[in-house]
Amino acid sequence: MSDLPAGTWVVVPAYNEERTIERVLRELCLVCDHVVVVDDGSADQTYAAALRVTPYALRHAINRGQGAALQTGIEFALLQGASVVCTFDADGQHCTDDLAALVQPIMAGECDIVLGSRFLGRAEDIPPLRRLCLKAGILFTRMVSRVRLTDVHNGLRAFSRRAAERVEINNDRMAHASELIDIVRDTGLPFREVPVRIRYTDYSLAKGQSVLNSFRILFDYVVDRVTS
Amino acid sequence: MNVLGMGLFQLVMSVAIAAVLALLLVLVARGAVRRREGAAWGAVLLAAFVAVVWPDSTSRLARFLGVGRGADLASYLTAVAMLVGFWMVYLRLRALRRDVTLLVRRLAIDSAAQTLSQGPARTADGGPPGDRRPGVSPAPGS
Repeated sequence: MSDLPAGTWVVVPAYNEERTIERVLRELCLVCDHVVVVDDGSADQTYAAALRVTPYALRHAINRGQGAALQTGIEFALLQGASVVCTFDADGQHCTDDLAALVQPIMAGECDIVLGSRFLGRAEDIPPLRRLCLKAGILFTRMVSRVRLTDVHNGLRAFSRRAAERVEINNDRMAHASELIDIVRDTGLPFREVPVRIRYTDYSLAKGQSVLNSFRILFDYVVDRVTS
Repeated sequence: MNVLGMGLFQLVMSVAIAAVLALLLVLVARGAVRRREGAAWGAVLLAAFVAVVWPDSTSRLARFLGVGRGADLASYLTAVAMLVGFWMVYLRLRALRRDVTLLVRRLAIDSAAQTLSQGPARTADGGPPGDRRPGVSPAPGS
């Protein structure tokens, strides 16, 4: 049962998401045959819940951060022969309906990287402070990476196989979002943004990044750039 | 107590520094310490030796550089050295984290690939056979 083209793999990084993971995965499995979960060393039952839904459940023995989990999932999907790799957050903020629009341009050979954008689409109830933070991140990315995007911190993305092979997330934590944009620029592969919906719930907000943490992400990113 | 015009502190310190310097030379000669590292540490030890045996030297250097006293100069240099040291430790820590991540990734991918190749042994409602974490094993009859 799958709406998405064969060869499409969806990677879901998950850390302590036992409350939402099973529902998210069941929804995903309705549209995609190959759903990879990377349990990033959760302390709760995330892994067991994931295994109930998909055979492709991976487990980090120690928590390494979302960037590391994404990279693990992408590498695994490529090893399994994926031709398109999508990323999807485990907290239920994305809609599976949006996936088809992400994969379609890649299957059509129009581009190699498709990024979801909440500001092109409908973001439901973004709290003002979070909106400000995200906008600052976008501005920062435009200045530093010189890539014009409307949303750089969106967990919904799709990569063609050759793009996914170029993905090398070195930052284990959250600076990987900006790192991915640098990959977009450095590979010179054609990319596009498509509108996606984000459902802000109390749960996804609590699980998300705090505003203060953006400074740590910024620090991570700057140090990575300086030392690489 | 006064030997060769030096106080007790000077005497003990200069002998100790000279001993470490000699040890360093031996280690470099044996190849246990790389030449570049050895040279850097040798320079630090030599500077310490000079500063202890000729206390005026730091003051003279400080005045030359426009810093008030030799002790001030020493504390400034210490602060800089500590910052550099922290930075180096931080870089090592990052490299270590990176290695741990690569290891964790290798483990995760390998064990998943292995479980998959064992065929449909993974039940729809339970963990893999080897997973002994509490609550993972399927309830009887499920």
